[in-house]
Amino acid sequence: MTLDRLKQHFPWVTLVVLILIVGAMDPNFLRPQNLVELAGDIAPLFIMALGMTLAIYIGGIDLSAQSVANMTTVLATITLPLFGVFSALVVIAVGFLFGAVSGLVTTRLKVPSFIATLAVGGIALSVGQFASGQRALYMDAGQRDRAFGWMLGSTAGIPHELVLSLVLLAFAWFIQNRMKAGRILKAVGAGELAAVASGLRVDRYKILAFALSGMFAAIAGLLFSVKLSGGSPTLAEGFLLPAIVAVLVGGTPLTGGVGGVLNTLIGAMIVAVVRASMLYLDIPATSQQIFFGIVLIVAIALTIDRSKMRIVK
Amino acid sequence: MFELRKVEKRFPGVHALKGIDFKIGRGEIVGLVGENGAGKSTLMKVIYGAYQHDGGEVLVDGKPVRFHSPREAMDRGVGMVFQEQSLIPNLTVMENVFLGYEKQFVRFGKIDWKRMAEATRHQLEKVKLAIDPATVTSKLSFAQRQLVELAKVLTLEERVDGNLVILLDEPTSVLAKEEIELLFTLMRDLRKRASFIFVSHRLDEVIELSDRIYVMKDGAVVDAVESGKAEVEAIQRKMVGRDINREYYREEKQRPYDEGKVLLELDAISLPGRYKDISLKLHAGEVLCLVGVEGAGREAILRTVFGLLAPQTGKMSIHGSPAGAVSASQRVAHGIGYVPRERKIEGIVSGMSVFENMTLSQMDKYTRAGVLDIAAERKLARDWIKRLSIKASSENADCGNLSGGNQQKVVLAKWRSGGSDIILLDHPTRGLDIGAKEDVYDMVREMSAAGVGVVLVADTLEEAIGLSHTIAVVKDGEIKKWYNCPPGAKPSLYDLIHYMI
Repeated sequence: MTLDRLKQHFPWVTLVVLILIVGAMDPNFLRPQNLVELAGDIAPLFIMALGMTLAIYIGGIDLSAQSVANMTTVLATITLPLFGVFSALVVIAVGFLFGAVSGLVTTRLKVPSFIATLAVGGIALSVGQFASGQRALYMDAGQRDRAFGWMLGSTAGIPHELVLSLVLLAFAWFIQNRMKAGRILKAVGAGELAAVASGLRVDRYKILAFALSGMFAAIAGLLFSVKLSGGSPTLAEGFLLPAIVAVLVGGTPLTGGVGGVLNTLIGAMIVAVVRASMLYLDIPATSQQIFFGIVLIVAIALTIDRSKMRIVK
Repeated sequence: MFELRKVEKRFPGVHALKGIDFKIGRGEIVGLVGENGAGKSTLMKVIYGAYQHDGGEVLVDGKPVRFHSPREAMDRGVGMVFQEQSLIPNLTVMENVFLGYEKQFVRFGKIDWKRMAEATRHQLEKVKLAIDPATVTSKLSFAQRQLVELAKVLTLEERVDGNLVILLDEPTSVLAKEEIELLFTLMRDLRKRASFIFVSHRLDEVIELSDRIYVMKDGAVVDAVESGKAEVEAIQRKMVGRDINREYYREEKQRPYDEGKVLLELDAISLPGRYKDISLKLHAGEVLCLVGVEGAGREAILRTVFGLLAPQTGKMSIHGSPAGAVSASQRVAHGIGYVPRERKIEGIVSGMSVFENMTLSQMDKYTRAGVLDIAAERKLARDWIKRLSIKASSENADCGNLSGGNQQKVVLAKWRSGGSDIILLDHPTRGLDIGAKEDVYDMVREMSAAGVGVVLVADTLEEAIGLSHTIAVVKDGEIKKWYNCPPGAKPSLYDLIHYMI
């Protein structure tokens, strides 16, 4: 019981401890401006992790998020000259659709989500490759600024990316905590069979969770491509692992039902601080995935609810 | 030779075994009885090594032991014949019998099937079962599988020196009369080598077979009766803690149901392999009980009514109109509520609060444009917590932390507060203590008084007889016999069993 209570506080304690450790190595790190910028930098990853949270919250996972984001960078760059700011709606809809397909495959064909989303991710990757002709594409700077300039820059020292992230967090939090859909997602994660036996249309809401995950991945991809002013089918490479890590170290276990989007905020900040600390420690970016891989395994091993997973294959 | 002294076992929130003293001598047959939830299964798990005791001692031949796994227990001669069968259906009989112990037949890395078949035949002879050891297990009858289980445990005879202790968990519950007699003869023959711990609900059988009977209640052994002095009624009283009488099942509150108002009608529904030709009418205020052995098809009928299974043929109508699409949400919308047997898995969502659980089936009433009116949900939960005197710190308490009886009240409140008037109860008192059971019985009577129709699959036959207006005896998926059960003129246990088996 006490251990369970401690577990709840583990994420933010970890975050504070990490910030203090890095701060001890370099006091400049603790400057508010630096911390705010750090938070802003992680925005695309955080947005992807928000969507991922919904998939994990119901006890599933979305391995297609990175590929959907990749595809989105390409589609956003291609559609920008055609639709201007409305290209955002197009790519978000496409992301939602890809997520919904994952959800349909999972619920209707009973394919576990890790494989369904892996497959749908493969499709998304190919669409991105095909649409881009396997090249890096660039946005016209003028068009980009007219349509999406508001995403970048900062007001009163607060990066707009950070504001956008927090608005999306509020949106996701409202769905999760105040809407019927969120309640049902929680029930599915905590006890799907009881949800079915209460007469809930569980499948629809599972599809919704994956669709929203796809949508958030698309928003993450859009922001990233605006930031880098272009698109390529490998632009968001290296996002998936940290996004999953952010969800899990934030305190939403792979078995679902507890945690949620606020936890993912903490988790994403932990990831940001860890990344920053690697810069201070001179660890090359290419080795970061080793670290995230290890953290992922430890985080899963510590947080998974074994009573729900008697048999692991 | 095998003894437990002051054995304790605790789980989070449950004191499952309280100072158990238990002894079995060479060649003895010892009975173990108690209501569901009294702690029999936990005790057996400690004995065969699936659980470790956390207080007291387990002694074999006077020496303390601690079994960390069933395999360690088997190495000391303690084996278990499972009620819910442990054989793997897609393996052959011999593969099952020697599962985990194939090494003795391995030569140069390859299993010598001929020798294994020979050894299996030898084991099967012990239980007088003449089947080919290469038969795939799923092709055997239920009774044959039970005997194979026994044969599997009897391999201990060759493997272990000294005496054996064999646990039998409800071995007779699905056997026919001749099969039961065969099993008893076998047990008596095997006493040369083995002692038996025999768990059964059928007290007459236990009394007939056992040298001594341990009676459990609420995690403690309340009595050890020598067989000569054993009487069914006295033991029953000890199991329950007091006289089981008409008052216990609230018979005095049983009122005739409203024959003019049919809530639910099944007209010759069939689902091959599950049930056949089931017709029934459920009236307002009626408690209709489906009685039968495990696997007779009672649950499948309930799940069909709730829209979780689709009948292949036949008609079903709810409140006089055709039932429509097969889906639980559609049935809930038509006023059907389901209290499942697996309370913790299907009944409540543990990890969600009391109020979240209560409105789970009726969220639409508390939703506007997709947004929940949480204040109203809380109010509903507070009302029902008071009405059913649910013991919870508040409506925000995690449902998973409530006691079994209070969880069951939450499940009932979920359906009653949503206005369901056809309620399906699947083993509603399973694992509850006496007080909580009586609360459930009270609620059943209240529902009848409020004009709710109840389809009940009871935990025990006594409960079925005590609570119901009407009993349908189900065997092999068919209704074999109907009984009317007005207060004071109820059928006896033996009337029912006759048609069940």
